[in-house]
Formats: sequence, structure tokens, C-alpha cells
Amino acid sequence: MRRLLYRWFSSFSAFQHRLDRRFTRAGSLALGVLGAAAVIGLDTNRTVGYQVLTLVLALLLISAASSLVFRGRFSARRVLPRFASVGVPLTYRVAIANETGRRQEGLVLLEELADPRPSFEEFVTAREPGEERRNWFDRKVGYPRWAWLVSQKRGAVVAPRPLPSLAPAGETEVGVEITPLRRGYVRFTGLTIARPDPLGLVHALKTIRLPQSLLVLPKRYSMPAILLGGRRTYQPGGVALASSVGDSEEFVALRDYRAGDPMRRIHWKSWARVGRPVVREYQDEFFVRHALVLDTFTGRDGDLAFEDAVSVAASIAVSVETQESLLDLMFVGPEAYCVTAGRGVGHTDRLLEVLACVGPCRDKPFRALHRAVMERHTSLSGCVCVLLAWDEPRQEFVRHLEALGTPTRVFVVGARGALDALPGDIDGLEVGRIGEGLARR
Amino acid sequence: MTPPPLLLGAGLLFWGWQTGFLLVALPLAVLIEAARALTWRLELSGTDFHRVTDLCTLLIAVSGVYLFSTTGTARAAGGPRAMTLLFQWFPLLLFPLIASQVYSTAGKVPLTAFFWGLRRQAARDPDARPVPVDLRYVYFSLCILSASAANRRTLEFYAGLCALAGWGLWSWRSRRFSPLWWAPLLVVAAVAGYGGHIVLHRLQQAVEQTAFEYIFSIVNRDADPFRATTAIGHLGSLKFSDRTVLRVEPREGLRVPFLLREASYDVYNSPVWVASGASFAAVQPDADGETWKFAVGRSPGERVTVSAYLNRGRGVLALPGGAFEIDRLAVVGVRRNRLGAVKVEEGLGLITYTALFAADGPLDGPPIDADLLVPPREAAIISRIASELNLASRSPSEKLEAVEAYFSQNFRYSIWKGERPRRHTELEEFFLRSRSGHCEYFATATVLLLRAAGVPARYAVGFSVQEWSRLEQRWIVRARHAHAWALAYVDGAWRDVDTTPAVWADAERDEASILEPLRDLWSWGGFLFSRWRWSEGGGVGEYAAWLLIPLVLLLVWRLYSRRRVGRGAGETTGSLAFAPRPGHDSEFYLIERRLDAAGRGRRPAEPASAWIERIHATELRPIVALHYRYRFDPAGLAASEREALRTSAEAWLGEHPVALIAPDPIVLELRR
Repeated sequence: MRRLLYRWFSSFSAFQHRLDRRFTRAGSLALGVLGAAAVIGLDTNRTVGYQVLTLVLALLLISAASSLVFRGRFSARRVLPRFASVGVPLTYRVAIANETGRRQEGLVLLEELADPRPSFEEFVTAREPGEERRNWFDRKVGYPRWAWLVSQKRGAVVAPRPLPSLAPAGETEVGVEITPLRRGYVRFTGLTIARPDPLGLVHALKTIRLPQSLLVLPKRYSMPAILLGGRRTYQPGGVALASSVGDSEEFVALRDYRAGDPMRRIHWKSWARVGRPVVREYQDEFFVRHALVLDTFTGRDGDLAFEDAVSVAASIAVSVETQESLLDLMFVGPEAYCVTAGRGVGHTDRLLEVLACVGPCRDKPFRALHRAVMERHTSLSGCVCVLLAWDEPRQEFVRHLEALGTPTRVFVVGARGALDALPGDIDGLEVGRIGEGLARR
Repeated sequence: MTPPPLLLGAGLLFWGWQTGFLLVALPLAVLIEAARALTWRLELSGTDFHRVTDLCTLLIAVSGVYLFSTTGTARAAGGPRAMTLLFQWFPLLLFPLIASQVYSTAGKVPLTAFFWGLRRQAARDPDARPVPVDLRYVYFSLCILSASAANRRTLEFYAGLCALAGWGLWSWRSRRFSPLWWAPLLVVAAVAGYGGHIVLHRLQQAVEQTAFEYIFSIVNRDADPFRATTAIGHLGSLKFSDRTVLRVEPREGLRVPFLLREASYDVYNSPVWVASGASFAAVQPDADGETWKFAVGRSPGERVTVSAYLNRGRGVLALPGGAFEIDRLAVVGVRRNRLGAVKVEEGLGLITYTALFAADGPLDGPPIDADLLVPPREAAIISRIASELNLASRSPSEKLEAVEAYFSQNFRYSIWKGERPRRHTELEEFFLRSRSGHCEYFATATVLLLRAAGVPARYAVGFSVQEWSRLEQRWIVRARHAHAWALAYVDGAWRDVDTTPAVWADAERDEASILEPLRDLWSWGGFLFSRWRWSEGGGVGEYAAWLLIPLVLLLVWRLYSRRRVGRGAGETTGSLAFAPRPGHDSEFYLIERRLDAAGRGRRPAEPASAWIERIHATELRPIVALHYRYRFDPAGLAASEREALRTSAEAWLGEHPVALIAPDPIVLELRR
């Protein structure tokens, strides 16, 4: 039954997409009137609704017939920015070239995004946020879930863009507005040039293949300063190697040999040049290094708490001043990851890119993250944890950090009821009201 | 896209012209078009739109109830149905919504106004912006569709329709093409639409004349007074519905089974009985309009009260043999033929009538030659049986008795027929071999035998009243109680002669569905509702008026309660604007002023906690924590905590005069 429903929804979505592409807004209205007139005019003795029906049908048929011929040839180039942000409208440029010898007017540019229909497994396993509050029929049939999945997978809304007049063999550039709806990649497959028929009801279409993608960064909130206690810690290898393994040190200068200096630090070339022993002087690097620990252990895709936790992590990542400190983003996906930014090692953008694509971890326990953090705790000045619950494994993790003397700040993202039992020193952030919650800190 | 000027007004005027509401449409059109000229607008929130939509919904519901309960008479007289009328009213009922759109600052209606689910969602997520919808073109389309419901079949309607469609489409046309392209295409569409609607209408008429009448004849079998196709020769089992078709009020002396006849026929051509020369003549009612007499000056006979449904206000009455008067029959026309069939026209959906009858009632015309005719195909077997029974030598009464005895002793009832006879007619098979059949076999055989014996006879169809409903406390007649019997003209009067074995009723009952009690309950509910709906003497209008009162009260209550809520909200807003904020007297503000005076003031929109960290005034942390709770905690501060805030703030102020506070280094720099 579910497979049947899936096929229906899938076919319906494809049909709806074709309708949206093929009909103008006036055409869609005409289709609606056609349906209504069919109902009203069903009995031709009772009303004259059937006269409306036949007129609208004739208009649509003539429009459809006149949209069969469209002799346009176009090429296009899309200039996308490096990043976009969830919910923030963005305008990018598209250059359209007319490859015919006649002027092209009255055209509309439609963006083609990758097929947003979910797979059967996704349809069956996904749960729409707030689905438990829907009625029995909606939960069983699952159309609202389907619609939500489609909108999530589409990832963005791109408004149709009317094109200015295109001169013969000329090119024009237009700005197209896109509003990303979720983080991650928005994939474009091509561009469609639509030409309305003379009556303005049906489009004739020319599609140009133009695959590209745009990375959408998580939503970010204004963060209050996070003041962690703690001290600078020794970073073996200095800044350059702060994020890698090894025990080399930072070279500072050359100086004359003093008794007791190790032989291996003698700089033989300088000794040869100046005639007295000279040694290399190294300085141990001590600076602040924070960990941003993101809890990814959620059961399902599209969990609002998880999305909000990613946004909180992104907000923290951009608010920490990384000129003077390092920030390690740590989370567990298919394996444990640690991405470092700050002091020239990596840019915050890199953290945001990673956060844009982070997904939930379903096959490992929270313990995996616990272990990953503990492996690095000696180099950490402080730790900011963004957690999805406040259960025993997470409490143990925080207790462990505190026991090791690592100053820790914990944010727990969850539904209102789940935050009631939090201790006073833990910051609870309610799902859907993150900005408000952070402003109160 | 904005509709061109005057289009909405023109749509409304077209609607008013077609539906007869021109005087209503005119001010509405002026009002809606005036929005272009007027500059003032109402600041309507999403909640206001929700209220307007609710008001429109309520108006539609109230109008629907009113129309549904008051259009019975109009519909019976060939007028439109309640649903059609309601649809005609839609532009008027939805006018508050479109007016609120065009006179609002938003200029569009939020989609949440139309769906409860979206409203709940919006309530859960106040930050989400509802999708705005422009209803103007939709409303324009609605005006046209509602105008079509008026069913004015004039060329003006189609011409107006094309003109408005062209007007509406003009602004949508593609600028790529010249209007010289656009106009011919529109004309082609108009011509094609015109031809199309003529074809469509004729197609429906053709379908109605064939398929619909065929289906109608199956559903309402034996209701055709000119022709009755019997199931003689039908193979397999006959199935009849449990549907209740008639209700007979109980009375003393009613002998069951009691036969109610719908029609009788005189010419048999296997398997069809036909009524020859049976044209209908109108019967004139008495002065009260509800009494229909077939003979004048008759003494009161027996009476029976029957309730029956009519299809589209028309039908054939089920009457007892010898009926001479029908009372309380609320129809516009009654027609009867010489074979005793009575048709009614332009009645309500449900009629309840009382038939007066006597043994020698004048309902059936006198016998003619056709009533003695035996078809040549059946003549051999009929004359053979008649001679076997020695009918020729008996008196008419004895002939009847002999025929009845012959069938009751030698035949049995069956609704199953396995195979078709190869060398015999159906009646020969019935008389000589199977000796079993259903009522149509018995009735046909009886009629032909009596005719062969010289007794004028006719084939009658109708219903047998035999089932008492304990649920309804009256006799009910189901579709499966449809019956056929013979009429014999004996001693100057037509008598019912039913030779079908009495077990037929039991055999039919055995075929009943196990869901029959449920259907009966449903049918009874429907009957009670229909009786209320179609009750006489303006009772419906009276009920409708009473029904309107609670609905209007509900409307008033809803509006009043919302207004009250709105006013309450306004008061709250007002009080927020003028009443002191919670925590306004916190001593922390004194500290803030002191620090500001010292050049270490708080930046705009900087949280207090972030501020004291920035200026390294960490000793203020406990004061800020108390201040926050005093300012924002709905529970407020306990008296001791309030006192602690005051004393600690005063202590800090005492320790930190302005002169002692180190200014911000940047400020110092700027001062230099």
C-alpha cells in the first residue's frame, strides 16, 4: 500500500511539476476554471456552466497548439556565488545568449533544480516535524510528509525571471533570485527558456543543460560572547602543526651556544660562518584552543533539533575570534571528524562548509564522540558542546571534561519539555526559538 | 498581476445581470472599483482575514441551510436546486473577503485564512510568513461561474462570457506577439467554444434519452404505464432490492397481503405487456387543490394512506383497485388513463396521500375487445388448458375459482429458471413442464386463461403490502415486494385475481440481505427527514426560520466574543505602552548611569551581561543576575532578593563615585 501511495505521490509530483512548467499563472487559473466549470456544467440542462467549460477548453487547446512551435536556440552561463545562507534571498547572475538571427521577446527564465522526489526508503523512514500532531489520515497516507520531503530536497525556491528583449545573436545578463530553504548543496540541472503563447496561457519550453551546485550554509544567529575560563595550552609543533601530529617546535632565532644546550640544536653552517658555536632557538607555542563539539546522534533526517543544533554550532563558529585562537569542530559522522580553524590554519568558512553538509549519525553511540574529544583534551583550553539531549552518556561526557579541568560550556537544544530538567549551568535552547534563547544568555 | 481597471466590476455586473441581482451587484461593483480611486486602506492583520473568512463561511452555511429547507416548492415547480441557488449567491457571500483584500494595506489574503491546518501551523510558528494570495482573478472567475448557474440560455450570456474572457486575458497576453495574432485566436476559441457547447448539450440529450431512461426503467421497474417488460423467459435467479419504496399507514380492517396497483396492460406480446389506447387525461382537483376525484357523488368507501417518493417530481401512484378519490395529494397535475394508471406531475420529493376505494370503483375503464384477446402464439396451449379445466361451461365466478384452484394445486413458486425451452413457448414450458415460475408467469397465464374462458382480463403490476415494520410502526413495501397479478371483469367490476402461490413472499424474504436492518434504519431516517423537509403548509419555512435563529445567535456570539478578545488585546497593548515596565525601578539602572557618566556606557543593543564583561566589571555579575530576574522573570524576585539587589547596588554606587571609575581607553583617546 505504501509503495502504491509512493508511486501515486511520485507521479503526482511529476505531473504537478510539468503543469507548473507548462502553464502560465493565467493558464493555471484557466485550468482551475475548467475544473470548476466541469463540475457546475455537468448537467447541461441545469446550468450553462458547460458553455464556460467549452470556451475555456477551446482557449487552452488553441494555446497548447500554438506552443508546439518554438524556434529558439539559446546558450546560458550561470555565475553562482560560493555560498548562500538558509532563508536569506540571494541574487546571482545568468547570462543568456540568443543564437538565432531574430529578436527574442517576452521570454521567461525558469531554473531547473535536481529532481526533488525522495526515494521510497526516505518516504517511509522520514518523519515530518510535528507529524505526530497531524490527524490519523495524514499520518497514514503521508502526503504532508511527502510535500515536506519534496520541499526539503528541492532546497530552494527560484522565482521565474522575465527576460529582457534579446537582440539577434546578442547576449543579456539578468539577476535571478534564489531563496535557500535548507543547508547543504542546492543542485541545478539546467535552465529552461519559456515562451508564452499569444493568449498567454501555455508555455513553449527550451531547456539548456547546465549542471551546477550552490553550497548553502546553516542559519546563523547573533551569539553573545562565550567566555570560557582556562588557560593557554602547549601546542606541540606550533601554529603550523597545531592541527597535525608531531613534536617539532617553532623556530625563533639563532644565538650563541651556552653550556648545556643540546648538541642537536647546534647550527653548523652558522658556526662555520661566524667561527663560534651557534644554536637554533625554539619557542614552545602556548595559545588558546577551543573545541566545538557537535552532537550528531539523532534518530532521523530532518530533525528540527538537529538542524537547530547545527545552526547553533555555526553561530558559535563564526562568533569565536580565530585570529588569536584555534577552534576545533568535532563531531561524529561515518567516522569521528575534527576540523580546525584559526590563526591561519584554516578559515571559519571551512567550518561552515563542513557544518553545511553534516548529517545525523545513526550507527554509533554517543560514546564515539566522547572518545574522540578525550583523545585531544590535553591540547584544549576549553570546550563548547552543542548537545541534543541531556541523558546519562552526555552527562558523563560533561562530567569527564570538568573532572579533567577543561572549562566547558554546554548548550542543549531540544523541545520545551525536554529542557525543564536541565541544571542551572547548562544552557537550554528551545527548538524553533534559538535566536530568542541565545539572546537571553 | 493586477486585473485591468473595471474588470472586477464588470464581472460583478455580469453576475448581477444573469442572476437577477443587478441592484445588488451595482453597489458591490462600485465599491470594489472605488478601491482604485480611494487611497485610504485598512491595516488588517492575518487574524482579521481569518475572521472575515470565518464570517463568509458562516454566511454560506446559513444560506445553505436556509435555501436547502426553503427551495422545495420552487424545485418541484421546475426551479433550481438549493445547491445551484447557493452557488449563485457565492459572489455576494464572499464579497466581504474580496473587499477586505482590496481595501487592506497588505493587498492580499494570507493562505492561512482558508485552512485550519495552516492556521494551527502558523500559531505554532509565529515567525513563519504565510503565503499571500491574490483573490481578484479568482473572484472574477467565480462571478462568471455563478452567473452560469442562473441558467439563462441566451446568446447574450455567451457573448458576455467571451467579452469578459477577452478582457481578462488581454493583460496576460504575450508581448512577443502582435494583438493581430491575439484577436483572431480569441475569435477562433470563441467560435470553437460555441460549437463545442452545442455539441456537448446535444450529446447529453442523446445520452439522457437512451441510457438514462434505460437505467431509470430498471431502477423504477413497472412504472411505465404504457409498457411492461416481464422477466418471462429470463434465465437464472431474479434479484430484487430491499429498498423501501412505499409506506402504508396502519388502519383497522386492512387485510394483508394488500395489493397496490401502479398500472395495468391489455395487450400481450411475449415477453411484453403493452397498454393500448392508454393516453392520459388530466384530472381536475377540488377547490383545496389536494383532493382529486375520479367519480362524483360516491359514498365513502375504505381508505388507505400511502407515502411514496417521486423522481424529479413525477411518478405513477400506487393505488388500491377500485380507487375513486385521492385526498391530500400535494401535486400540481394528476393524469389518468383508461387502464387505471394515475400519473402525478410536479410534486414534492415525498408525497403522502389517502386513497378512497370501493369494490366497484371507477378507476379502471370498462372492458374492450383487447381485454379478451389471446395472442396467436399462445392460443394453442391456452385453449388446451381452458378446455381441460372445462371453463367454458362455468359461470364467471366459477371460472375464477377454477383458475385459482388450478394454479394453487398444480404449480409452485420459483424465481429460478435454469434453461431456455427449445421447442416450446415460455408459457407452454410453464404450463406443461416446469409448472413453476414467478408472479409474472402466474399473472400472464391467469389473464390469458380467463380471456380464453370469455372473462375480460388485464395484467396488473404494483406492490403487495405484507411486511409490518416494528421499527416504523407501519406497513412498509420494499422493491422486492413488486408483484404482478390479473384483473378480471366480473359482475360489472374489476377484481384482483392473484394466483401466485402465497409462499412467494417468504421466498422473496429469504433473499433479503443480512444488512437489511441497517438499511431499514437508514431508510427510516431518510423518510423522517424527507417528511419534515417536504411537510405541507409552509412548515418548512417556519422550521427554517427557527433554525436561522440559533445560527444568527451563533454568528453574533462569535463576532462579539472575538471583538471582546480583540478589545482585551488592545487594552493590554495600551497598558503596555503606558504602564511601567516590570523591573523599571531596578537599582542597576543607577549603576548604568554612573558608568555611562564615567565614559564606560553600554552600547546600543548590548546585553548587560556582555557589557560588564567588556568593561571588566566582573563584580557586577551577581547584581546583573538579580537585575535580569527582576526585569524578566515572570515570577519576579522574592522580597529578600529584591532587598539584596538594592543594597548591593547601593553599596557598589557608594564605592564607585564617577571620579574613581577609570574611563574607557578609547574614550580617553577621543577626549584628547
